[in-house]
Amino acid sequence: MSYKPELTGSWWLKHRFFMLYMLREATVLPLVFLLCSLLAGIYSLASPEQFASWQAFMARPWVLALHGLALVAALYHAFTFFQLFPRVMPIRIGARLLPPALMVAVQWAAVLAVIVLFLWLFGNSQGAI
Amino acid sequence: MQQHEFDVIVVGGGGAGLRAAIAAAEEGATKGTAQGATLNIAMLSKVYPMRSHTVAAEGGAAAVTRADDTVEAHFADTVAGGDWLAEQGVVDYFVRHAHAELVQMERWGCPWSRQANGDVQVRRFGGMKTERTWFAADKTGFHMLHTLFQTSLKYPAIQRFDEYFVLDLLVNDDRQVQGVLALEISTGALHVLYAKAVIMATGGAGRVFRFNTNGGIVTGDGMAIAYRHGVPLRDMEFVQYHPTGLPGSGILITEASRGEGGVLVNKAGYRYLQDYGLGPETPLGKPENKHMELGPRDKLSQAFWHEQQAGRTGKHGDSDVVYLDLRHLGKAYLQERLPFICELAQSYVNVDPATQLIPIRPAVHYTMGGIATDRYCETAIQGLYAVGECASVGLHGANRLGSNSLTELLVFGRLAGEQAAKQALAGAASAAVDTAARTHIGERCYQRWQQKLSHLCDTQREMRSWVPIKRALVATMEAGCGIYRDEAGLQETLATIHQLQQDAQHIRIGDTSAAYNTDLLQCLELEFCLDVAETICLAALERRESRGAHQRLESAYQARNDAEYLQHSQVFFRANAPAELRWQAVDTHISAPAERLYGGQTAGEGAKDA
Amino acid sequence: MRNCSIAVQRYLPHEHAEPFWQHFTVPFDESTSILDALNYIKEELDPSLSFRWSCRMAICGSCGVMVNGIPKLGCKDFLRNYLPRNYLASESTAAVSAAEIRIQPLAHFTVERDLIVDMNEFLVHLEAVKPYLITDAGADETPLEKHAQTLAQTNKQTPAQLAKYKQFANCINCGLCYSACPQFGLNPEFVGPAAIALAQRYNLDSRDQGKAARMPVLNGHNGVWSCTFVGFCSDVCPKHVDPAAAVNQGKVESAKSMLIQMFTGRG
Repeated sequence: MSYKPELTGSWWLKHRFFMLYMLREATVLPLVFLLCSLLAGIYSLASPEQFASWQAFMARPWVLALHGLALVAALYHAFTFFQLFPRVMPIRIGARLLPPALMVAVQWAAVLAVIVLFLWLFGNSQGAI
Repeated sequence: MQQHEFDVIVVGGGGAGLRAAIAAAEEGATKGTAQGATLNIAMLSKVYPMRSHTVAAEGGAAAVTRADDTVEAHFADTVAGGDWLAEQGVVDYFVRHAHAELVQMERWGCPWSRQANGDVQVRRFGGMKTERTWFAADKTGFHMLHTLFQTSLKYPAIQRFDEYFVLDLLVNDDRQVQGVLALEISTGALHVLYAKAVIMATGGAGRVFRFNTNGGIVTGDGMAIAYRHGVPLRDMEFVQYHPTGLPGSGILITEASRGEGGVLVNKAGYRYLQDYGLGPETPLGKPENKHMELGPRDKLSQAFWHEQQAGRTGKHGDSDVVYLDLRHLGKAYLQERLPFICELAQSYVNVDPATQLIPIRPAVHYTMGGIATDRYCETAIQGLYAVGECASVGLHGANRLGSNSLTELLVFGRLAGEQAAKQALAGAASAAVDTAARTHIGERCYQRWQQKLSHLCDTQREMRSWVPIKRALVATMEAGCGIYRDEAGLQETLATIHQLQQDAQHIRIGDTSAAYNTDLLQCLELEFCLDVAETICLAALERRESRGAHQRLESAYQARNDAEYLQHSQVFFRANAPAELRWQAVDTHISAPAERLYGGQTAGEGAKDA
Repeated sequence: MRNCSIAVQRYLPHEHAEPFWQHFTVPFDESTSILDALNYIKEELDPSLSFRWSCRMAICGSCGVMVNGIPKLGCKDFLRNYLPRNYLASESTAAVSAAEIRIQPLAHFTVERDLIVDMNEFLVHLEAVKPYLITDAGADETPLEKHAQTLAQTNKQTPAQLAKYKQFANCINCGLCYSACPQFGLNPEFVGPAAIALAQRYNLDSRDQGKAARMPVLNGHNGVWSCTFVGFCSDVCPKHVDPAAAVNQGKVESAKSMLIQMFTGRG
């Protein structure tokens, strides 16, 4: 004689921790939209008309808003990932653990480096055209 | 009636029980297989093994380890610490086997703290002449218990009965053990388990006192069960107060905190231990073995009592306290060596040991006495063994040295397991068991308990709770049987206990359901406690001298009296009558009784000891 | 002493088909733990309330319960945490103004009675990961005498080697992490945080050679890959074991061992 409470579909609404977790998982949705947009952009390179209509699509305010959201989502996901990373891949030097805060900072520095690299490449390629 | 058949039954799933079960399983795997017999071992425990109170031991386990240490020195410390009431042959066996058992634990994965070169680290401990205490941070008992429990999972011969509460022993007319009777807590069903050997490893009885460092399960069950079958309880008057428990709860602050350099101060900030024969004062951060804060536990607890009488203790809530100062050790060191202490102080008295003083007071910690056994852990009943805190093999005498008992679990747990296995194998080889007679004993025991339990739960009777009896018991034990005792107080406490035993006859518990009836369990535990309390009080009354943890206030009894009392007390159960006390000679064949010396008094001792 | 309202979810298997709530008023002060409150209820108000407890100092792992929906050790969680600040100090004699504290049995386990759950559901997972030192010599099955020579000495282990697994060895098997884990709630076959932490504890131990024996359980369907790194297990752990880290370190190990298997055809 015993009972076992079943987990309902709304379990994740019961605690802030679970909601943040679901939010982390949900960051994939605007990112899927962004990827679809980029794929469509590549296909539209086939003809100038298609590219023009793609550009027009991309300029729509709600599309811009969704892409803005995708950027925020990507940064939030990066934030959660960077926080978790030192726990999944702890790095030890002798008996001492590399401070997690340092590992997080290094990862953000890497993000910054990627952005700088992009801006530099992008700037140069603009010049080349 | 559900019946089971085993070769060896281990009662209790703490350190001693697990070590014994593993030893019996190994003995069965080697010698048993050679004989063509296998041993089936049952381990019954009223809680899951990893909940057992071994888990709360903090400081460490002693064994001679350093090149400059000797087993003779460990022997001398233990015998002197026990005020010459230890069985010296037993102590000798213990100190010689201690190291091998700690090494065995290491090979089973125990995470001992280490030196930079990878060797095991040893620390100072109260009453020990040199550093010989192995430790795993400040959770040694926890790590040992989990290592033993996890290791025990490797042995298919060990069948666990978790949350089975053993109520009684089956003993035949020839005084041979036949098995046990147990209550399956989850269903309320009684089980009869037969075996050729039974090992009691049920732990101490600290819960008979109000302020204690013990878990709620430490209620002397096994002691009372053996006692009711005529096995004497030995040296029960020796109850160790741990000098550093947290006020209110009694939660343990390990002696290792003093081994690492913590000091005790009174409300004026004065290191008062120097006034009680433990000085001269050692410099801050330079603890010295057997001096000041590293004196033995009984002396430290007694010093608290005198400070309290003199009004030099502080207040925390409604408790009188002195203070443990760890501030000079610094945050990083405290986190490395005493992380659990920091956590406990923060949670339970809201104190950060790195910056504040920890209020502490003595609390009952350990019962030196227990089920009397011979040097092979066997009791007066053939095939019945006892080991660990529930037993009195004779190691601790009148006062246990910290870190000897964790090693005791291993050394004597193994010995008891091996002896029980041999007994079972010999039994298997000899004539067939008289199963009819045995079943008769089992049935009779089953019926008696079935009747008793239904009487306790009989809703025709008026409900009467066990709670007031328990409260009266722990209060009277604290009042009359505490750090210092006298005739009048002991007489009064003994009379109160007898009255409470009468009152307990009228208990009718409030919860009458079958599954997980914890109300019933606590009532049965209280009945065990009452019997154990009687033995403690009677032995304390009859021992008219002061020795180790037993201190009398009367001026005639304030000194040790070897002429009359260099003897073990043995208390025997008498059905429907007060218990009876007899004296038993002590084995002192190696070291003749001398004075116990600590602090500066030992200065001239060095040459002699070496 | 002030009073506090406490609601306890009860279940008496032979008397009620369903769990029900029972309400109590309990006096408390600064140091009253949830466990103290439960013991007060049992001794003063209703002797039939059943729960597990022992050490009172957060080391035996018996007294896990849900407090306001969060898994907690009853002895290490205090009533003061659930009441407005200064509630104890305030002069107001108004009766319990603060909201009721709700106590339930640990989530995701089968409830046997009141606050008692079936801990075997956790222990089978613990036993499945072979949580003991496994050595090549096979010495783990042989008794002391046989290897007297080698067994007379300890293994060497430096503080750095100890530090690698020490944190995961601090698990007290209280089961709070299982109650925090929605994946275990959805799939009781999931080996779960504490058991995987223990597997990782032995895998990281410099004295152990049993990783190959443990990996099949961790690689399997109910092993590390059932974890989606919710991370709440580590949040509720009373001993800072960080089982989520152990599980996800286990994923790295699992990926490595699966790759090796793919290329060599061996485990």
